[in-house]
Amino acid sequence: MRALSPQPAAANGVPAAAPAPAAVPIAGPAAESVPLALSGVSKSWKGNPQPVLTDVDLKLDIGTTTWIGGRNGVGKTTMLRIAAGLIDPDRGRVQAWGASPRERRANYHRLVAFLPAGDRGLYARLTVRQQLRFWSGMAMLDRDESERRAAAALDLFDLAELADRRVDRMSMGQRQRVRLAMTFLPEPETVLLDEPLTSLDDEGAALLEAALLALRERGGALLWCSPSGDHPDREFDRDFHLEAGRLVSA
Amino acid sequence: MSQLRASLRAFWIVLGRDLRVYVSYRSRLFSQLLTSVFSLTLFYYVSRLVHVSGFATPADYFGFVIVGIALVGVLYSCFSVAETVRQELIAGTFERLVLSPFGPVRSVIAMAVFPLLYSFVLAAFTLTLGWLVFGLHLHWSTVPLAVPAMLLALLAFLPFGLAFAALTVVMKQGNVGVSWVIALISIVGGLYFPISLLPEWIQTATKFQPFTPSTEMLRHLLVDSPQATSVLATIARVALFAAVLLPVSIWALGRAIQESQRRGTIVEY
Repeated sequence: MRALSPQPAAANGVPAAAPAPAAVPIAGPAAESVPLALSGVSKSWKGNPQPVLTDVDLKLDIGTTTWIGGRNGVGKTTMLRIAAGLIDPDRGRVQAWGASPRERRANYHRLVAFLPAGDRGLYARLTVRQQLRFWSGMAMLDRDESERRAAAALDLFDLAELADRRVDRMSMGQRQRVRLAMTFLPEPETVLLDEPLTSLDDEGAALLEAALLALRERGGALLWCSPSGDHPDREFDRDFHLEAGRLVSA
Repeated sequence: MSQLRASLRAFWIVLGRDLRVYVSYRSRLFSQLLTSVFSLTLFYYVSRLVHVSGFATPADYFGFVIVGIALVGVLYSCFSVAETVRQELIAGTFERLVLSPFGPVRSVIAMAVFPLLYSFVLAAFTLTLGWLVFGLHLHWSTVPLAVPAMLLALLAFLPFGLAFAALTVVMKQGNVGVSWVIALISIVGGLYFPISLLPEWIQTATKFQPFTPSTEMLRHLLVDSPQATSVLATIARVALFAAVLLPVSIWALGRAIQESQRRGTIVEY
């Protein structure tokens, strides 16, 4: 549990009285080599007195994989959205590789990729290839690099045969592969996955595994969230649960 | 690759995406061309049926209204960016744009480019059809000047579309009021009839929006309608609207996105 301060879990799985979280160092030159650091992140939703996240500290290390589970609605997706820079925390800081979603925004989003849960985020009328080219443009890659990475992403998720098929004519599992290909397209250093196995068959899961292996080999880091009873059949360097707004060791 | 070049490429890619999505609906172009034909036919006969004060001949009114019809299409295009943003929110692609290095503000501005260019082409088609089939008198010596004038008008109109896009991001329903705003603009902007027919106080109010001077400027250049002020003064007025409103609307859009991220509603639709 290096550089991470999860609150200890009691025997019944309910978090014990949480100690004050240790601060995650996210400043100075060392911050440049931190794939992701959440420090004191809290979030409440309007009309709900119970905060969904309370002083969450989390630091991913280079070349590591981390799993976070928790029951439905506990705040895993909220935490990932905050980590991705999609929504802001009420309190606390988020940084990756020395950038934050507010300062050096473009840099942050070049380095951190997020796969949201579900099957959304695709342009139904575009083909797979058009989709990948579009998102490589949004990643502000030049033409040659864009073509290279689109081809690599097609290859990585075995989509070459489907490259010219429109997304609204594909199965859910095939669409999930396209969404994964879009996530890995910019060759991110930090990957955040929210229930990535949704609709994937064994072959798709194996392709994801290969992509994660490549990520790890190039020194990237993975944060994977899924419900508690849905722990993937793979080893993670660290496992946590999100309970009552706090991270606890699994 | 320089930031500017990468940004321009991203704009180009959004334009290409919108073109691809547009052509994937094969009957859409045909339907819109047919709408233009029907509108022209309708107003051609209305111009011959009713005597409109202030116009010496039916052809004068037809020339007046045909430019108005062309501009209504442009107006719809400007406001369509709000509906596009709503579709992106529903499809879940807006959140991906928020997380892209290109960013959501530039993405929304880029989304406005295709409908504007398309409306430009549709306006040209309407005028050409009017000239070829209905005998519209185009003032050819100044018609080429209408192209930059139209681009200037687009820059002055676009802030209204961006403002509605900002509303859509915050309220998820910003596009609801678009129809009545366009109807209101059609009246006070003098698109179908001269604003001199309107009550005095409404005429005064028309001085504070870019639609009336833009319409007058384009009418003057396309069909040689008389202008109350010089063309240069009108151009300066429209340019002033664009220079003031465009940065304000872009700022408002950025604020709307930031506020939605702060509240966590950016993912809602």
